[in-house]
Amino acid sequence: MLEIARFEGRHRVRGTALVSVALGGFSLLYVVLFPTFAESLGTDIDELLAAYPEALQKAFGIQTLTSMEGFLASELYTFFWMLILGLYFAYSAAALVAADVERERMDMLLSLPVSRARVVLEKFASLFVPLLALNVVVPTVVYAGTVAVDYPVDPVALFVLHALSVPYLLTFAGVGLVASVVFDRASLAQRASLGLLTGLFFAESLLTDTDYEVVGVVSPSRYLDPNAVLIDGEYAIVDAAVLTVAAVVLVALAVVLFRRKDIE
Amino acid sequence: MAAIEVAGLTKDYGTVLANDDLTFEVAEGEVFGYLGPNGAGKTTTIRTLMGFQSPTGGSATVLGHDVADESELIAAKHRVGFLPSNPSFDEQVTGREILDLHGSIKGDERRAELLSVFDPPLDRKIRAYSTGNVQKLGLVQAFMHDPDLVVMDEPTSGLDPLMQRKFNEFVDAEKDDGMTVFLSSHVLSEVRRVCDRVGVLREGRLVTTERIEALLDRTGKFVRVRVAGDVGPDAFAVDGVHDVVCSTTDGGEAGDSDGPVTECTFTFTGDVNDLVTRLGEHRLVDLDVEEAPLEEVFMRFYGETDA
Repeated sequence: MLEIARFEGRHRVRGTALVSVALGGFSLLYVVLFPTFAESLGTDIDELLAAYPEALQKAFGIQTLTSMEGFLASELYTFFWMLILGLYFAYSAAALVAADVERERMDMLLSLPVSRARVVLEKFASLFVPLLALNVVVPTVVYAGTVAVDYPVDPVALFVLHALSVPYLLTFAGVGLVASVVFDRASLAQRASLGLLTGLFFAESLLTDTDYEVVGVVSPSRYLDPNAVLIDGEYAIVDAAVLTVAAVVLVALAVVLFRRKDIE
Repeated sequence: MAAIEVAGLTKDYGTVLANDDLTFEVAEGEVFGYLGPNGAGKTTTIRTLMGFQSPTGGSATVLGHDVADESELIAAKHRVGFLPSNPSFDEQVTGREILDLHGSIKGDERRAELLSVFDPPLDRKIRAYSTGNVQKLGLVQAFMHDPDLVVMDEPTSGLDPLMQRKFNEFVDAEKDDGMTVFLSSHVLSEVRRVCDRVGVLREGRLVTTERIEALLDRTGKFVRVRVAGDVGPDAFAVDGVHDVVCSTTDGGEAGDSDGPVTECTFTFTGDVNDLVTRLGEHRLVDLDVEEAPLEEVFMRFYGETDA
């Protein structure tokens, strides 16, 4: 078992290392910049923010920028972690099956004595390489950085935020995986899933307090709030459970669809 | 038990009826050539046998296992080798990693032996492989777990003549060891040496299955002959000559020739001795005898069945 996952996972190591260095570096930059930012602008920054449209503040998860926690929750976690990294996982997952079908590699894989379910699940499992690596590297860098610049964040809250982001990122990957078995071209699967997820991400915040608010219910971003975790220490376990169920359902759907698919 | 049994197999893509009610068997230990022009539906049958797609009608078994049942299919695949028409591997990895992956799942007891026959550059990434090397890697993975049945889609298409000979010798040896081989081709001459029996597919329908010798007798030769003198088609009225087309050049204008030359082409399915005797009555300028291309055979024997 897991031969395919190991094979695919091994080839994610280099890409994962690059993304880890990039995102780790970015995180460090944010952390190191914060003291200068906070000390030069002080509380004025929040007054400045108040002038921004509320929807925009909400879209980027800006609650307060006067504390290290608020700054990281919006600038690093809401934007980079939840949107950019989420899309990265969806993009990677969207290629898992479709790229092999498109390049006619799937025939070779399915000629092996393996079930289709196993192919999908093991390919999906290979995404745990970047998922685990990033969830170790980034919080470590962030915590060490905040301690170094003397604005330490609560390590427990930081750990919880990363833990809660795992089902969130897996849900994004799940959407990509479903697109990957539906479409026979990786680029199509990637565009479809990225379009949908970006739309849902902004819909969730922009449609709040409108008649279309209900759309936000299906947006994964509804179920993870870095501000609540880092600033208020509120851990939304139920929301994480909702995301976990969503991720499982999406992966199961991908398996069902792939089992019935004619590979052409 | 037959190695492959196909009963009423049909695949309707909606716009194209790729396989239309196919029924045939491949016996154990047999090398079966699945022939037909491009687009006849050969690959469709192979993809169905391998379980990549489901038939819209009929059924098929491979080594006694129903291909429509996934767990049965998996049981069969432990003993089946497969070579697609365009073997395609992950570009980022080396040939060795590909073989390691395949070996870890289906076994690789014959790997070393096969690598001494077909020798792709294992430590190079697939990206840098030539078409021939990809084909060699494909052959190694198809046979390395010592399968009972190997299914190959156009296995000889990417091979140079030298490799093709190696391939033929290899298949012959495997046949002697009792392996069953199912291979498709649109070029009869490439596979005639290795096949025991062939099935001929045309526009999704199986037009015949017969021993290779019987087919070759019927396919005949394609003959092009140039004889001195102005002779008509009647000069070659021998049993088994079909479709004679002649043209005569008077050849006299250059002044240094020996008079007119007639060039005739025809298909010949009779006794070659009769032909030689008849040709001997003329002074030949040139003679070309080659195996009739499969397309000609189709036109000759199966064309009229097409409404």
